[in-house]
Amino acid sequence: MAKILVIAEHRDGVLSEGTLELCKAAKEIATGLGAEPAAAVFAKDDAIANEVAKYIPEVFLVADAAVEVYTADAYTQAAKAVADAQDIKGVLIAHSYDGVDFAAKIAMALDCGIVSNCNKAAVDGGNVIFTRNTYNGKIQEERKVNTDKFVATFEKGAYEVEEAGGAGSVSAVSASFSDIRTSVKEVIETMAGSVDISQAKVIVAGGRGLKDGDKYKEVILPLAEKLGAEYAGSRPVIDSGWIDPARQVGQSGKTVTPDLYLAAGISGAIQHVAGMKGAQCIVAINKDPEAPIFNIATYGIVGDLFEVIPAMMENL
Amino acid sequence: MKIVVCLKQVPDMESKFKIIDDSKIDESQIAFKINDFDNYAVEAALQLKEKNGGEVIIVSAGPDRAAKDIRQAFAMGADWGIHINDPAVYEGDNFVIASALVKAIESIGDVDLILTGVMAEDIQAAVTGVMVADLMGIPHSTNVVKLEVDGSNYTVNRELEGGLNEVIALAGPAVFSIQSGINEPRYPTLPGIMKAKKKKLDAKSAADLGVAAEAKIEFIKMFFPVSDSMAEIIEGDPATAAATLVDKLKNEAKVI
Repeated sequence: MAKILVIAEHRDGVLSEGTLELCKAAKEIATGLGAEPAAAVFAKDDAIANEVAKYIPEVFLVADAAVEVYTADAYTQAAKAVADAQDIKGVLIAHSYDGVDFAAKIAMALDCGIVSNCNKAAVDGGNVIFTRNTYNGKIQEERKVNTDKFVATFEKGAYEVEEAGGAGSVSAVSASFSDIRTSVKEVIETMAGSVDISQAKVIVAGGRGLKDGDKYKEVILPLAEKLGAEYAGSRPVIDSGWIDPARQVGQSGKTVTPDLYLAAGISGAIQHVAGMKGAQCIVAINKDPEAPIFNIATYGIVGDLFEVIPAMMENL
Repeated sequence: MKIVVCLKQVPDMESKFKIIDDSKIDESQIAFKINDFDNYAVEAALQLKEKNGGEVIIVSAGPDRAAKDIRQAFAMGADWGIHINDPAVYEGDNFVIASALVKAIESIGDVDLILTGVMAEDIQAAVTGVMVADLMGIPHSTNVVKLEVDGSNYTVNRELEGGLNEVIALAGPAVFSIQSGINEPRYPTLPGIMKAKKKKLDAKSAADLGVAAEAKIEFIKMFFPVSDSMAEIIEGDPATAAATLVDKLKNEAKVI
């Protein structure tokens, strides 16, 4: 039977949570298509594969020193080996940093369409209809492939995490590797800093809507101080050097789960939301009523943050 | 160094979006600009040219309106460009567009380096650059936040989750997708804007470039997201709304 194949993601011996979300997605899609869910693990040994087998019935393991460290070339060759050995209908990959680096290459190797950055998949008459964010999350669209096979990448949080409990099989697939053109020298930490915002109970975060670094400091810092909060920012704030990189919230920064997260002038791009959606209460202040941040906030004020925040200060 | 930057013109994301027939954006309400990530790619290319000599060539697929933003990159300092202004290409999927970009890049010849933004802000696919590399049979790296060149050897930092960077070495020619924050994109100067008007911009069709690729994915429809957890919007003038918010945070959510 045809397989819907999750490509497991792991680093330093740790399986990513996104992989467990993909296991859930694979089961749903496979059920709709009359296919079987499976996963592929590319690693130096069988440790990760044995872990993945708790979440999905069948695991194909390419165990080779060539895939001990991720590279796009080695992962593509390993995926091709699994696709050649098995009847693969669809490949599911996390829309993560590694996933973005190799998913399109696997689609090229399988000569099939890729729908990337999806948040939902529904099966309709043998076709998988993918829903995905566009226009910075303001608009969603549906797409499908017109090739026999498909590759799809899913944004973090698109599916619930699959529960462990199964005892899937692990079978080895042999692959030969050649011409791996990138070599990984080292992995470095770029956010080393004295502050750890991930433990804060209250966070006041500013975004592009603050306009410049001076205004950020004038508006955000006093509010953070008054609330006994840590201050933080979205990517543009860090890119522009207004605050320390250790204070970045989002996919490329910290993940935070405070009681209160106040987002001022932050549009709510998925990369930012990934880092703060676990907050208990989210307040969004933004002048754009269509900003996607309002779709996940608890309370929202559509207005000029330069008027709203000083007015808040008077009430605190 | 001969450096190509693949650039896309996109809507300003703060525009008021209207959808026509579930299938397209009403462009009459939209201001267009260079894709934000591509601005960083242009700046990275210009800095490499300033250090190592050579030229920076813009390759872009898009309707006639895209010429404005290709010339914006010229005004920043890019030397010339190819504008694939054929709907058979720019209305195609990522594979068709990547195939056309490759044909355009091959028509330039002897290109050392190809830079793109990490993704286009409108379609948010983040696949075209990787496809370009694959079609050309050259290596790539994505989400590049640091880029150093020594002859034809490159050392790049690839961004990972949680503030980690992977340091990668590879030999060119190569494709890098450039992440925001790698540099501070320059603004065009007035002399730059004057010069940009005279720089060469070749318009090409799919037939001119010999593009025969066919789409592998299909668009079905577009719609505004429906959230089941939409915020409670607090109405009123700023003072009233702010007072209500503080009250709710204290007495309803009990988080301050």
